Amino acid sequence: MSQPDAPFPDFKGLSDDLYQQWERSMATWWDQVLESPALLDATNKSVSGMAHARARYEAQVDEQLLKLHLPTRADITRLGRIAGLLEKRLLEIEDVVLDIKDSLANRDAALARVERETIQARIEAAETRLELRARLDALQAQLQPQLQPQLQPQLPVQPASASDGPSQPLLQAAAPAPPEPGPARPSSRSGKPHPKTS
Amino acid sequence: MNIAEELERSVELGQFLASRPVARARLGATSHRVIHRQGSSALRYFPPARGATVRQPLFISTPLINGWAILDLLPGRSLVGALSAVGVPVYLLDWGVPGASDRGLSLGALIDQRLPRALSRATRHARAEGHLEADGLPAALGYCVGGTFLAMSLARHPGLVDRMALLATPIDFSEGGLLNTWADPERFPVDALIDDLGAFPKELMREAFAWLRPMAQLSKWRSLHARIHEHRFAETWAALERWSTEGVDFPGEAYRAYVHGCYFDNALMGDSWMLDGRPLQLKAATIPARVFAATGDHICPPAAANGLLAAWGGPVEAELLQGGHVSVCLSAALPARLLSWIDA
Repeated sequence: MSQPDAPFPDFKGLSDDLYQQWERSMATWWDQVLESPALLDATNKSVSGMAHARARYEAQVDEQLLKLHLPTRADITRLGRIAGLLEKRLLEIEDVVLDIKDSLANRDAALARVERETIQARIEAAETRLELRARLDALQAQLQPQLQPQLQPQLPVQPASASDGPSQPLLQAAAPAPPEPGPARPSSRSGKPHPKTS
Repeated sequence: MNIAEELERSVELGQFLASRPVARARLGATSHRVIHRQGSSALRYFPPARGATVRQPLFISTPLINGWAILDLLPGRSLVGALSAVGVPVYLLDWGVPGASDRGLSLGALIDQRLPRALSRATRHARAEGHLEADGLPAALGYCVGGTFLAMSLARHPGLVDRMALLATPIDFSEGGLLNTWADPERFPVDALIDDLGAFPKELMREAFAWLRPMAQLSKWRSLHARIHEHRFAETWAALERWSTEGVDFPGEAYRAYVHGCYFDNALMGDSWMLDGRPLQLKAATIPARVFAATGDHICPPAAANGLLAAWGGPVEAELLQGGHVSVCLSAALPARLLSWIDA
């Protein structure tokens, strides 16, 4: 509203206020009008009439085009529908192809994983063997100087090639039996995947 | 009142309109490419900005009745631009402009075929681009009718996304305000219209939305006159005019089923909608959802959007944003709210 202390009335503020009041009252009026059943009935009737007239006009145009042996709107629509159906079919085929591609990729990934696990198992088995061999060698090296003086008097004189014979049971008793390294080699020969041994 | 200033503004307004700003407005300028097409619809991919940390991809279902460009109106006024700039790969389903051959397109075909296929193509593309893990899923956002379709589709096709957000999306159509009053089954001759026209014409749709708030038509010209000096405002005004005049004909059979199901029967709030011989129940959904409603929305009032709270089977959160049905898309707050939802 206009400011009382200003030398001239604030016409801009006044007009804004008046406009806003008018706008609010008009909006309320419009709301009432636009909800009124009488207006809705009349609007719907006129829209229906217009739609029906348009449909009749289009039918007339189609009829004339037909007489002139020209393609009608319905013909073009039919062609469009056929193209749409073909596209739908192609997309469905594409969906199937993509699904197959996905499942093949998944299978390849699974095969690669199994192969990787097989190789890993074989490596672990080989490492276990090497470790046991190393432990065996270490134990043998430790036991050899101690057993040598004790065994020498008891043993009959034998050819040098047989002198290692009695020491083997002692070594086997001292060292734990090596576990089976797993079926890596035989099963890999057969080409079948096998579980991780560790 | 400064008459000289008013006159100057009027002259400037005349010059502005004489330069045909609406025809010259260029919408949808953010860089993207189409990665999939079906019929009139296209799936548009907006890659994340280089150097930005890539976030979860977002699939957007736009409204069928208007162009998608409202989500990419102008540089700096673009939801998809803002999201892709911070690293969100955006996949936008543009329904396109259905032609005469699409008149027989059913609602079931839209929600059971086009939308799920576009979503699965988006997911596949995101995985191929490294935006998603091999078993990762995108998030999905639906705006207006696009949101209604998205909710319907995800209720029937679980496992396509890991969460859903709806922006200004009507679910409880009994709270739809004036539109619901107009769509009274006793008065609205939808069957006769579709039988005659084959589609619900964009002209009728545009008039209906304009008559929802007749005074707003006057206000928009008044505000343009008042702010004609502001280049940015005038540019946005012209772009919005361009967008609102570029409507789309709603395919007839889909519109018939939509009006019968959503407006006449308010079937999304119940569990007895049989669409194409199969039940459609939002209660069947289990993924979490979030509702973004706008305070001043006269097309989808917050009560209509919040219907999801009661109808959806999964957990639902609701959030209220400032703005109207269209302006909420352009608000600076929306990208930030969406981002926090995506990162949550």
